Amino acid sequence: MTNATIQEIEGIDDYWGPAFRSIYEGEGHEAFVQQLDERIKQHDKEIEKLCNFHYQGFIDSIRELLQVRSHAEELHAEISNVDANVKDTTDSLCAKAEELIRARRVELNIAATIEKMELCLPLLTTYSKLKSQVEAKRYYPALKTLEQLEHVLLPRVGPYKWCGQISADIPRLRQAIQDASMADLRDFLENIRELSPQVGAMALRQTQEMLGRSLASIVQNKKDMAVLGIPTNITAGPQCPHELVDFSPLHRCLHIHSVLGAKNDFIQYYRSQRKQQARLVLIPASTNLHDSIVGVKNYLNAVLGFFILEEHLLSAGAGLVSKDWLLDMWGMSVTKVASTLRTNTSLITDPTLMLSIKHQIVLFINTLKCYGLPTDPLPMLLQEMAEHYTEVLMQRWVGVFRDILDNASFLPIEVANQDQYDGVMDTFPYDGDELETEPFPRKFPFSTIVPAVYVQVKEFIFAWLKYSAGLGLGGGRRAAAARHSASLLLSRSFTGCLSALFRRPLPLMQLVQIIVDTQYLEGATLCLYEFISNITGSELVTTQTAGSMFQAARDDAEQQICDKLEKKVDEFLDLENYDWLLVEPTGQASSFVTDMLSYLSGVLTSLEQLPERARVAAVRAATNRIATRLRNLLLDPAVKQISSGALDQLNLDVIQCEQFAACEPVPGLKEGELLEHFASLRQLLDLITGWDWSSYLHDVGIEGGKYSLVTPRDAATLLEKLKEAEQKSSVFSVLKKNERDRRKLLDTVLKQLKQLQNQDGS
Amino acid sequence: MAKTYDYLFKLLLIGDSGVGKTSILFRFSEDAFNISFISTIGIDFKIRTIDLDGKKVKLQIWDTAGQERFRTITTAYYRGSMGIMLVYDVTNEKSFENIKNWIRNIEENASADVEKMILGNKCDLEAKRQVSKERGEQLAIEYQIKFIETSAKDSLNVESAFYTLARDIKAKMEKKQEASNPAGARSGAHQIRANEQQRKPTSWLSRCSLL
Repeated sequence: MTNATIQEIEGIDDYWGPAFRSIYEGEGHEAFVQQLDERIKQHDKEIEKLCNFHYQGFIDSIRELLQVRSHAEELHAEISNVDANVKDTTDSLCAKAEELIRARRVELNIAATIEKMELCLPLLTTYSKLKSQVEAKRYYPALKTLEQLEHVLLPRVGPYKWCGQISADIPRLRQAIQDASMADLRDFLENIRELSPQVGAMALRQTQEMLGRSLASIVQNKKDMAVLGIPTNITAGPQCPHELVDFSPLHRCLHIHSVLGAKNDFIQYYRSQRKQQARLVLIPASTNLHDSIVGVKNYLNAVLGFFILEEHLLSAGAGLVSKDWLLDMWGMSVTKVASTLRTNTSLITDPTLMLSIKHQIVLFINTLKCYGLPTDPLPMLLQEMAEHYTEVLMQRWVGVFRDILDNASFLPIEVANQDQYDGVMDTFPYDGDELETEPFPRKFPFSTIVPAVYVQVKEFIFAWLKYSAGLGLGGGRRAAAARHSASLLLSRSFTGCLSALFRRPLPLMQLVQIIVDTQYLEGATLCLYEFISNITGSELVTTQTAGSMFQAARDDAEQQICDKLEKKVDEFLDLENYDWLLVEPTGQASSFVTDMLSYLSGVLTSLEQLPERARVAAVRAATNRIATRLRNLLLDPAVKQISSGALDQLNLDVIQCEQFAACEPVPGLKEGELLEHFASLRQLLDLITGWDWSSYLHDVGIEGGKYSLVTPRDAATLLEKLKEAEQKSSVFSVLKKNERDRRKLLDTVLKQLKQLQNQDGS
Repeated sequence: MAKTYDYLFKLLLIGDSGVGKTSILFRFSEDAFNISFISTIGIDFKIRTIDLDGKKVKLQIWDTAGQERFRTITTAYYRGSMGIMLVYDVTNEKSFENIKNWIRNIEENASADVEKMILGNKCDLEAKRQVSKERGEQLAIEYQIKFIETSAKDSLNVESAFYTLARDIKAKMEKKQEASNPAGARSGAHQIRANEQQRKPTSWLSRCSLL
């Protein structure tokens, strides 16, 4: 038992519990402790044996170990030494290496910088180029450079601050360039505004030369040049008007703006500027174009120059000016030009000025044609001006005619010698075959006004034709218009002057001469027409005669003659001094009547130059006046009483007048025509003196009766007067029977006449 | 019916062509002057009423053509005239010499008692004068006719010449009237009648001579 337990304990390293339990619980404690002691003594003996065995080795090992210890110490010293040595050497090496590393880094940095710098360099040079270009005002290349800078160079270079600055600079520069080019454009515009009149003037001059060009003149020019030794091909100054202007700023501006992408804006701007300029050009510089030709010239030059330049731009292309725009502008302008000229020319009263203006306008039109611009309202204007010109001329000639008439004596021209005779014959076409043979002094039938007016009408035609020259009218049309104007001048202006002349009292003979003169002037119209056709080189038109051109004036003159005669008749009749209570007639006509009749026949014979019509009218007027005045005398309410003696005296006077009328004082009267003026007076006198009341009362109211012209009122008036006179003369005397009868009859007739009057009245 | 005048005198202007008869008449009737010369053709007359010692006197003044070719027309007017102005031009010797012929003309054609007067016209043209005032006066004395120098242009003595002639005619007429009718006082209307009556004998006489 105990041995087993020790083995067990020795066999099991742990879980000694059950073993201890069995010892503890079994009885053999002493055995066990003895065994355990034995066992311990055994182990001690074994340890001693072992120690004895390993002792020597142990000592040797210690000794060896001690030896190793010194060796180790030696080694340690040695190693420390080496280590110090190595340490010494590597320290400097490390420093070098670090240095090297730094140097390498610097080297790399430098390379990178150079690379970057190289990229920046073109940018900078370009930028500086740009600057210098801008400074040199070479804007177009500058813009190109700018473009390059912006789109090629700048993106290539990184986002440096200075790059930012440059890119910030770019719009500014671009704006500056634009502004500068605009300034250039403005300079240009200003420049062409100053130049365009010169351009216009040159164009007009060239047109003028061209119009005046003929083969002969060209040859002459060449010859002249050859003689002067001038080479024909030398060209001094510009050949074309538009060469006067340097368009390069404009084109530059256009390029710049097209580069800037603002071409359309630029075109718009240009057009609006030009439009404004056009507006300025169209307002004449001097407000009074009608004062002098210079104003008109300058005005037309400016307008023309303006459009010639535009037209040139149109043909030069570049789209700055479009055809539509140009025509539109021109349309607006030409209307304005026409209206300006119209307003101004309508005030002109100087024909010479009008002629020069017309010449300018014609030249203007021709030049416009050369440049392909429509001329439309201008020919119309010329026509209107032509009318005004005619008016102005007429006005002027009214003055001339007035002068002629004011200083005219209206006496037939008398020439004392051949020279004077030829002088008249040279100025006026007169068929003087009969006059040719007469001895001097010879007497023309017309007065000085005829040749004077004839010459003036010719002058007028000359002046008038001056205007129509160069208008491109055919000879026929010119001649017709000239004829029309000449007739108008004679029939309106001259006749007007004549009418004005008649307003002041003219002696009879002068009136007669005027009538005669107008006939000669009318006769000369054909010669005027011939003159016109000669000048205009057209065929002679003879169909249109101005037969009644002066009829109005002649009528006026005739009326004046009639008025004059009537006035003279009145003057004679104012001298009348009838004694209305005359007992016995004197047996002869009153002296004022005989004076008057002899005066009238004298005057009428001296009117023999007059046309028959006028003489007849004159004598009719005079006769009618006499009859009316005499009849009025009888019926004058102021004359209360008329004796039969006085009645006989008046009857005698009327008979004198009737005799005068009956013997046809002028030819061309119808038989008995003048007597008709006295018919009513005659019937009244016959009725009263013949006491023919029965037939009067019988016939009254019947047409064609013996006393049909005597109204009951007139008969009664006269009868009353007769009655009054008879009553007065017989107040105190006793009436004889036949007188009483007569008185009774008178009263009855009077009563009947009153009745008739009342009938007529009711 | 009220008469517009108390007397009617017919006056006549005669003399050579261009002496200024028409101008004198124009000056007297219209108080105007026209420088241009328009020779009178045939005969013309103007009427002007003047006031003479409170009487209205109508002057019917006949202006004759001086030119020879109108002589037949003009002489017919001599007979009825009560006064004749003989006009010459002081700057024209010939016109002065012709006054004698004109006087002979009057003697042959006018009534014997016609009042006459000599006028030397254009006395404003002193520089061109050919006939002195004295010669004019001498001639007037020779014929026992009144004489005065006139200027129609400067309106010198024209009025007074016509007034003088009219006054002389009036005086002569009134003298005759008083001789034939010494009773005197008459109304205007009657005077006219007297006037007519006074003229009558001459008319009758001339008629007789014509017959």
